[in-house]
Amino acid sequence: MEILDELKKDSIKSLISSGKRAGDRDNVTYRDMVIKKNVLGYSEGSAVVRLGKSQVLCAVKIGMGTPFPDRQDEGMLATSAELMPMASYLFEPGPPSTEAVELARIVDRGIRAAEMIDMKKLYIDEGKVLAIYIDLYVMDHDGNLIDAAGAAAMAALQCTKMPKIKNGEIVKGEYKGQLELSKTVTTHTFAKIGDTLLLDPCLDEEKGMEARVTLEIMDNDSICAIQKWGTGSFTQEELEKVMDIAFKKSKDIKKRITKA
Amino acid sequence: MTEEIIMPGEQIADKPLRLSYGYIENEKTYSTVLGLKRDDKVIPLKGPYEARFGDYIIGAVSDVKFSGYNIEMNTAYSAFLPDRLIREKLDFGDIIFAKVMNINEVKDIDLGQVRVLKKGEILKVLPVKIPRIIGRDNSMITLIRDATECSIFVGKNGFIWISEKGNINLAVSAIRKIAREAHTAGLTDKMEKYLKENSDIKDLKENSDIKEDLKENNN
Amino acid sequence: MEKVELFKNGKRHDGRNIEDLRKVKIKAHVLNDADGSAYLEWGNNKIIVGVYGPKECIPRHLSNPYGARIKCIYNMSPFSSPGEHGRSGPSRRSKELSMVIGQVFENVIKTENFPKAAIEIFVDILQGDGGTRCAAITAASVALADAGIPMKDMVSALAVGKVSGTVVVDLDYVEDSQGQSDCAIAFSRRNKDVLLLQMEGDMSKEDMKKAFELALLAEEELHKLQVDALKEVYLNVKEREIFVDI
Repeated sequence: MEILDELKKDSIKSLISSGKRAGDRDNVTYRDMVIKKNVLGYSEGSAVVRLGKSQVLCAVKIGMGTPFPDRQDEGMLATSAELMPMASYLFEPGPPSTEAVELARIVDRGIRAAEMIDMKKLYIDEGKVLAIYIDLYVMDHDGNLIDAAGAAAMAALQCTKMPKIKNGEIVKGEYKGQLELSKTVTTHTFAKIGDTLLLDPCLDEEKGMEARVTLEIMDNDSICAIQKWGTGSFTQEELEKVMDIAFKKSKDIKKRITKA
Repeated sequence: MTEEIIMPGEQIADKPLRLSYGYIENEKTYSTVLGLKRDDKVIPLKGPYEARFGDYIIGAVSDVKFSGYNIEMNTAYSAFLPDRLIREKLDFGDIIFAKVMNINEVKDIDLGQVRVLKKGEILKVLPVKIPRIIGRDNSMITLIRDATECSIFVGKNGFIWISEKGNINLAVSAIRKIAREAHTAGLTDKMEKYLKENSDIKDLKENSDIKEDLKENNN
Repeated sequence: MEKVELFKNGKRHDGRNIEDLRKVKIKAHVLNDADGSAYLEWGNNKIIVGVYGPKECIPRHLSNPYGARIKCIYNMSPFSSPGEHGRSGPSRRSKELSMVIGQVFENVIKTENFPKAAIEIFVDILQGDGGTRCAAITAASVALADAGIPMKDMVSALAVGKVSGTVVVDLDYVEDSQGQSDCAIAFSRRNKDVLLLQMEGDMSKEDMKKAFELALLAEEELHKLQVDALKEVYLNVKEREIFVDI
């Protein structure tokens, strides 16, 4: 398989440098994005996102936890990601790979930096807080898992129900209200191939990229997280360009997530 | 004409038949794959490529060894090309069109009659669709070659090489269309129409080979 | 867990008769990269299966020169239970189920066609409510057929058991926890060979006989759903959207 990936790299590089992109897309357009909320009955919140052929599921569960010693009055948030082996010939079964860990941390960063959840509201009692578990499940990989996962997490959080608390314990199966979110975060990833910047790279394009940058935008106003990946570099002009594009795209993606 | 879809384990024939996609139990023959039942045969709808002597395949050099080359060809098995069978020196990533000369009990493949393919695109399709892409007596593939003026090599293992010169996009979309609709009737007619509608090509009716093929399909 | 009344007016706690299966929905070819795939909903169970292969067997020293190695991994996602958020990674139960499910398919797959290769079956329980191993086997059979892996037969599976003294078909989580016994059975379609059999609880010989009778009847229904799922994929000529319809 490796040799085919190498060949793919070269053919993608020449395709992109000649100004074309597979599927007649331009460099600043997302593939078809479909978002569906509340798909899992056993989770407090859930959503599945299709971005082109990539498919990512997000489940949010809320349970009881113990707070960190230096933040006794705050709830907990844990984001994890699994790159399921059925999603791609590139994924092996086993403990989370570095790619999976990076994916989880990028999505987590956006949620935390935006401070969209009031962690103090998750306090129940001394030594007892609510813990929010966000699980990202990649089922099908055709590139840009980050944006798909970011949208899935945001959509899942938006439909998350709060468990009913009675006498300091969670009442199983009963809910009271929704998880309050003060912000919406959208995620936008760009690949760099040669001198070209591509929004929402598909898997073939990712195989040929030298670098990648993800921008997480908060309510169309500001950037709350940035992550660069890859051995290649970006110029300042390129970064300004992607910022502009990300802000432009943010409105549409935010609408799609909220309206789902 | 709707053919019957057959499941693994379903009966194909009341008598024992030696078939590629079947097995015999108690003097009856059963299918091993999901496929179409056509007379007493099974045409698989999906499935891995299983190499046979004499197959022409397309592969890429995945490793350069002391006495030859390892060739990656979309199977679970490695293929080896001894360098005494080829004049040029090959490099990692070179594409070849070759013949399966030998397969041993553990399915290692020896290749020969090699031709190096330069400057083209590789397309990957399901190996079971290859016969339809080639067509009876090469009719379908010739239709595409003529309409696109591309040099095209088709490997039984599911790889298709298309030369840079010519209308590659049309060739690729035509091949993908055939792969999608491989099990439908009247495909040759449809493809002729499709190729005509999507580029300027010579008048096909004048080509006697195609005339024969169209006649066959209309019966 | 609160005690639920398992039988009321001759009907089970969810309104079913003793011979009724829960609602089952199967879709084949739902993933773009995997060689074969299936998505199955069975009552509240939601299961996805992806198949890869035949492919090179890595590590090489585990390969078998006489046939393909079947590698099955059954995984319960940490959000699959109605209770607490679970751990990721294989539990002891998952490891055992990976093995017995793998053995079912090692029986029906024509492994001799692919010496030294590997065939991988990845099963994931997105939501579990009793009978997940049976649902997994039923879905995996569809995924393998979708991948074009040669098999001598299709396989389906279901659980039977005794609840409040009565033998019933397809126990859900409540019936499994509060009932008297639970028995998972996988059958090959044509010969009805028993390829998986795991029972725990208290069953007499008559109970087992009755259990098999009920299971064989329900198995017909399951097989029809498998066939319909596969036919739906291949009878469509238009470019069909491939996705998991959760």
